[in-house]
Amino acid sequence: MWYEIFRFEIKYRAKRLDTYIYFAIVFLSSLVAVDFFLQGSPYTMKENAPYIIAKTMTILSAFFMMLVSMIMGVSILRDFNYKMESLLFVNPIKKRDYLLGRFLGSFVVLLFIFSGVLLGFVLSEFMPWKDPEKLIPFNLWNYVRTFIYVVLPNLFFGGTLFFVSGALSRKLIVVYTQGVLLLTVYLISMVIGQGGENKIIAGLLDPFSFQTFDIIVEFWSPTELNNKSLPLEGLFLYNRIFWIAMGSVILVLGYFGFSYNVVRNSIFKKKTLISSKKENRIETDISTIKIPVFTQGTGLKSKLNQLLTHTLFYFKSILKEVPFLAIVICGMAIIGINSISLGTFHGVNSFPTTYLIIEELKEMALIFFLIILIFYSGELVWKERDVKLNLIYDALPVSDLMHLTAKFLGLLLIYVVLILGLIVAGILFQTANGYYNYEIGIYFTGFFIGVFPYLVLFTFVSFFMQVITNHKFLGHLLVILFFVLTIALQLFGFNHSLIGFGGNELGTYSDMNGYGHFLAPYFLVKTYWMSIAMLFFIVTVLLSVRGTETSLKKRFQMGKLRFTPSLRKLGVVALLVFVFSGGYIYYNTNILNTYLSSKEKEEYRVAYEKTLKNFEYVQQPKMVAINLTVEIYPKKRDYTVEGRFILVNTNKMALDEVHIQKRSNDDIRLDYIKFDRDATLNNAYEEFDYYIYKLNRALQPGDSIRMEFKQTATTKGLIEQGQSDRIVENGTFLKNDLFPTIGYNSKYELKEKEAREEYNLPPRKRTPVIDGLREVKNGKRGDDGYEINFEIVLGTDIDQIALAPGTLQKEWIENNRKYFHYKMYEPMINFYSIVSARYEEKKDKWIPMQDSLGRSVDLEIYYHKGHGYNVDRMMKSMKRSFDYYSENLGPYPYQEMRIMEYPRYAKFAQSFPGTVPFSEAIGFILNVEEKEDLDMPFFVTAHELAHQWWGLQLIAANVQGRTMILESLAQYSALMVMKRTFSKEKVQQFLQKEMQRYIKGRLTEEVREMPLSKVESGQEYIYYGKGMVNLYALQDYISEDSVNLALRRFLKDWNGFDGELQTDRYATTNDLLGYFKEVTPDSLQYVIEDLFETITLYDNKTTKVEFEKISDKEYKIDLSLETIKYRVDSLGKESPIAINDWIDVGVYVKGADGQEELIYFKKHKIILEQTTLEIMVNKEPSKAGIDPLHKLIDRNRVDNVKNILNE
Amino acid sequence: MKLIINNLSKTYSNGVQALNKVSLEISTGMFGLLGPNGAGKSTLMRTIATLQEADQGTITLGDLDVIKQKNEVRKILGYLPQEFGVYPKVTAEVLLNHLAVLKGITNRRERKEVVKALLHKTNLYQDRKKNLGGYSGGMKQRFGIAQALLSNPKLIIVDEPTAGLDPAERNRFYNLLSELGENTIVILSTHIVEDVKELCTNMAIINKGEVLLRGNPVKTIETLEGRLYKKTIAKKELQDYKQQYTVIAEKLLQGKPNIHILSDTDPGNGFIPQQADLEDVYFSYIFGGMPLHS
Repeated sequence: MWYEIFRFEIKYRAKRLDTYIYFAIVFLSSLVAVDFFLQGSPYTMKENAPYIIAKTMTILSAFFMMLVSMIMGVSILRDFNYKMESLLFVNPIKKRDYLLGRFLGSFVVLLFIFSGVLLGFVLSEFMPWKDPEKLIPFNLWNYVRTFIYVVLPNLFFGGTLFFVSGALSRKLIVVYTQGVLLLTVYLISMVIGQGGENKIIAGLLDPFSFQTFDIIVEFWSPTELNNKSLPLEGLFLYNRIFWIAMGSVILVLGYFGFSYNVVRNSIFKKKTLISSKKENRIETDISTIKIPVFTQGTGLKSKLNQLLTHTLFYFKSILKEVPFLAIVICGMAIIGINSISLGTFHGVNSFPTTYLIIEELKEMALIFFLIILIFYSGELVWKERDVKLNLIYDALPVSDLMHLTAKFLGLLLIYVVLILGLIVAGILFQTANGYYNYEIGIYFTGFFIGVFPYLVLFTFVSFFMQVITNHKFLGHLLVILFFVLTIALQLFGFNHSLIGFGGNELGTYSDMNGYGHFLAPYFLVKTYWMSIAMLFFIVTVLLSVRGTETSLKKRFQMGKLRFTPSLRKLGVVALLVFVFSGGYIYYNTNILNTYLSSKEKEEYRVAYEKTLKNFEYVQQPKMVAINLTVEIYPKKRDYTVEGRFILVNTNKMALDEVHIQKRSNDDIRLDYIKFDRDATLNNAYEEFDYYIYKLNRALQPGDSIRMEFKQTATTKGLIEQGQSDRIVENGTFLKNDLFPTIGYNSKYELKEKEAREEYNLPPRKRTPVIDGLREVKNGKRGDDGYEINFEIVLGTDIDQIALAPGTLQKEWIENNRKYFHYKMYEPMINFYSIVSARYEEKKDKWIPMQDSLGRSVDLEIYYHKGHGYNVDRMMKSMKRSFDYYSENLGPYPYQEMRIMEYPRYAKFAQSFPGTVPFSEAIGFILNVEEKEDLDMPFFVTAHELAHQWWGLQLIAANVQGRTMILESLAQYSALMVMKRTFSKEKVQQFLQKEMQRYIKGRLTEEVREMPLSKVESGQEYIYYGKGMVNLYALQDYISEDSVNLALRRFLKDWNGFDGELQTDRYATTNDLLGYFKEVTPDSLQYVIEDLFETITLYDNKTTKVEFEKISDKEYKIDLSLETIKYRVDSLGKESPIAINDWIDVGVYVKGADGQEELIYFKKHKIILEQTTLEIMVNKEPSKAGIDPLHKLIDRNRVDNVKNILNE
Repeated sequence: MKLIINNLSKTYSNGVQALNKVSLEISTGMFGLLGPNGAGKSTLMRTIATLQEADQGTITLGDLDVIKQKNEVRKILGYLPQEFGVYPKVTAEVLLNHLAVLKGITNRRERKEVVKALLHKTNLYQDRKKNLGGYSGGMKQRFGIAQALLSNPKLIIVDEPTAGLDPAERNRFYNLLSELGENTIVILSTHIVEDVKELCTNMAIINKGEVLLRGNPVKTIETLEGRLYKKTIAKKELQDYKQQYTVIAEKLLQGKPNIHILSDTDPGNGFIPQQADLEDVYFSYIFGGMPLHS
């Protein structure tokens, strides 16, 4: 019997068009899934690497869970919707047969639809757009096994969940809500996984097994990732078994829970007993009842009254739905689940500020809004028809417009409820975290201005789709596709506000600058899209189904008759708004300002390179003095610079040309350039803002020339986000790259390999080779001048403080503006920034412990009011840093050190001479928990201060290894300050984090992993992560003092201003390693090679630990260790090499307080892959192993130490 | 005010011709539209109720063009569809109140009175706080008429209102309807002859999309006066009789076929004269291919 039902189900689906549409959608999505997924992802593996296949297939199967719900969820539901249940259940079908038949039937249909995944993936490898270089040889089994291991169990679990929830609840929305549930489980597993310790649970709990993969491949090398298949074992296997088991449990529960009756007891509500007692009814003579006289309102007031009542009716009908309430509660709960980590920076969370909560909620609750939007707009459009009240409603004297508008507004009110729920949840969350600065205004702006317009726009779309298709599911699906398409188009560069649906998002909120200049263009663009949406809404109204005519053709014909005067008026208004707002946007974007599509931008850069590249190494003079007057107008977002550069010919030949590059932004105008000798301008390259001045009298070697210029930057009209966040109402942050520079600027060159190929440009090395003759003479940062005298006058609004490098000479008020004059007494490199904002100030002084360490330094922190949380940490860090650096590296040249907060449009701190602009996002609002967290404000400050030596005093040549000198040494220096200030555990914690960064970062390498000493730009995981770990290891091997001695010598010789080695080039890592080798004993010279010159990794493991109690004071431990040392060759291949290394071995005991304590810790010489050791300790050991503190880069760190079980 | 239907035709996309050049003139009072299932009654009703398009022909109500001025018509229309559902979790009072607003009774006080009166009139007042989901078929139908009566309609269309009602409910319903015909056009479509006989002053018989007869029920009965005969026969004889006579109706009487035939002369053969009633008229048009003569 079940077979009959099974067959019926399949036949039913086979006859329906939507089955094939679903298949086509799945197939086509699968065809492009890998390309789409890799677009903008950090993964750099081969495009058909098993890992990529698994990851993409998993994402796709998770995304198409909605199809699973549409197929599986409705198979039982359908019988109830079509009121078939009475006919069906009366037949002699057993419940088991009914459920089994339906389940298997729809599951087979589901398999058919999802076979599109397999087919699409396999075929995608043969698509013409595939680059064979990015593929490994075709292997069908890679696809099939992933499909079997990942997709099938996911389908099975999802299928049972949706099937059973549909069967039990008999409500579609309950089925859809299960999707939310799945997502929530996934999010929970993600949060658990973030902790690091509960990875096993996370990997097991992830219903899609996303994280399971990542946990498994955590220690894989790039080669393995490219080639090795995910083995169905361990965590992955358990995860699959777990979810299949869960599916089976659901199925069994569903079987017993399903009531094979037409009338059933509601899950949600106790059935109200129908009172059986006869009511005493009086049959009145109805003819005596007169219907009272009334008036039928026709005026506007009455219309509004109708609209309001109608709207509220729909609103209440959704409000009463249990699933809706479930969604609201889930949405409210999600902030609790997910916001454990808000605004996290290196593991440290921020205070739960309102804007962070909003950003989090916007991201997390998106899915809830989408579900409500898609589902309930369908329900509302079909509301009357679903209960067959439509003919009564359709015959009412209510206009089509009012009918649809009421539904529309009703749904908007539903969003309001969800938003209010989220706001309440946010406030509760803040309260629970002891943060009481509730900014209700920001909550409302964030949601009702930042989110609501999109909901409105997509609701318009959804209504349109529902009406056009006149098919609920198809409508749902089209809305989702539209949504995905909108995002895709934006990713692919269709981002002009006039074209990208809905326009851009409201810009980033900053405590300093609020929503700043983002609001006005945002409103304008939203007005434009609203008018378009309104036009579509009119079409929706005209085509909406009323009465029994449902064919689209018929509705088109009838539409003309339904185009009432009020609709016409509305149409005209919408059209006018559309034309005017669109025109105004166009005027602002394309006429007042220059709009370049991303393609045009590329072309400009290509033309720049092709035309001007031959000037790259043209000899030019260097700046030796800069004197600027900068007027900042924060409110207008304008500034002017008048400046004087003194240029000196440092070359051996006379120069007769000066090449000036103006920043190529069109909001910047160069008013004039004058030289103190006659020069004629060659305008040939004006389109690139590149000006060549031919000097009438050549500049002799050693001679100087004075250049004067004026530059005006004007913000014109309403510029959309992305154009300039540098000059803002509160929190301006300008860098010297905005001012005229000298010569060809290679920053304009296209970088992406594919793009360069497309334009026939030769491949560009991301970093010049270490022994490149030309680039070793280029210090890159500040390459127009490495030793300048600097003086600047800044004017700004009267309530702001403007800051730049230098000692404050004078401050005054003039014309109701505030002026500051700064002057640097020591030379600095040509690298400076200007900030201006309304600031609070914190001032202190660093006084050196002894005179030999230099002068005292004024310490100043400028921060936004209310952001004082970590100012003391930063101040402390400045003092400790100056203590350590001046003692170990050399004196600090300047008289002051300033930290200035700037808005969170960018998230970095950067060291300029004597000044560190520090982003609002990464230190000022961090909530540092003393016990668990690293003191990141302290560390970042120490790191940036270290750059006052590494980068600002010692300039590294623009070649491979440059960032090791700049960043790795800054990381190391800061860590040493940490080591002196904080506990050992904190240092360990830091090293672990950086090790993790390196191990993870390797997997996302785009070109080739380099050894530390030849690290290239963009390889942050190497120069930050590995750099810190390996320099720490070096000082562990050869002592901190030796390392510092080497560094001190290095600085002394290569210092940019008065270095003792007066060479014509800048320092490289070859030089640095020389100083290291000098202080390293012969026995440890191999360490330099392992740590810096090569890529060397270990796989250390403790295979056996046993101990024997000899007496109360003597315990003999037998250790079996395994050590594999890997070396990565120049082709990226990883292979084991011989070992002859000193490696730590440690034994722990349980201390009195339960903490593990190292009682034995010593380096042993390891020469074999397998080593056994005998160690004597005087207490009962608890665990032991090799490299317990993880000083060496280890592929799998968790097996280094083994617990000793009872003897 | 008169409702004039002129030459109305409608063919569905599946080829079924639901209306074929239907012309009718309907004035104030109860008008019965009689026809078997699938005759086109509902199509006609829906078209008059502005819910369906006709392929050709016109409908005017007083000065209003029903096809084009749909919204004007809706203002004075009360419509009870043949089959309708309700929101199960909404009470009668709430839904009726809501519909009243949509019908334009926006004054709260007046609306309250009207709703109350209608609930009384349809005898639903005591159940007004009950969810519609718990209503019986009859109660639901009465609710349907209550909503059709909102806003004092000039034209009321009730499509098969008594289908599925028990006799008591049907009576109650008749009482309700009979009151309406005094100054309103009420069109009642039904396949139950009784309905028309008891309520209507005018009627039309419609089959396969065509109007077969229009007129006053009593007068149409008169056309059969003296021409109707009946006889109880054996089952196996039925075919023969059907060939020999114009059999317009066959009913079972205690298990045996009892046939009515139409004949201008006394057919003899055991037939006895029968007093004609509306049912015979109906059957004679539907099955008997009437009119045989004037």
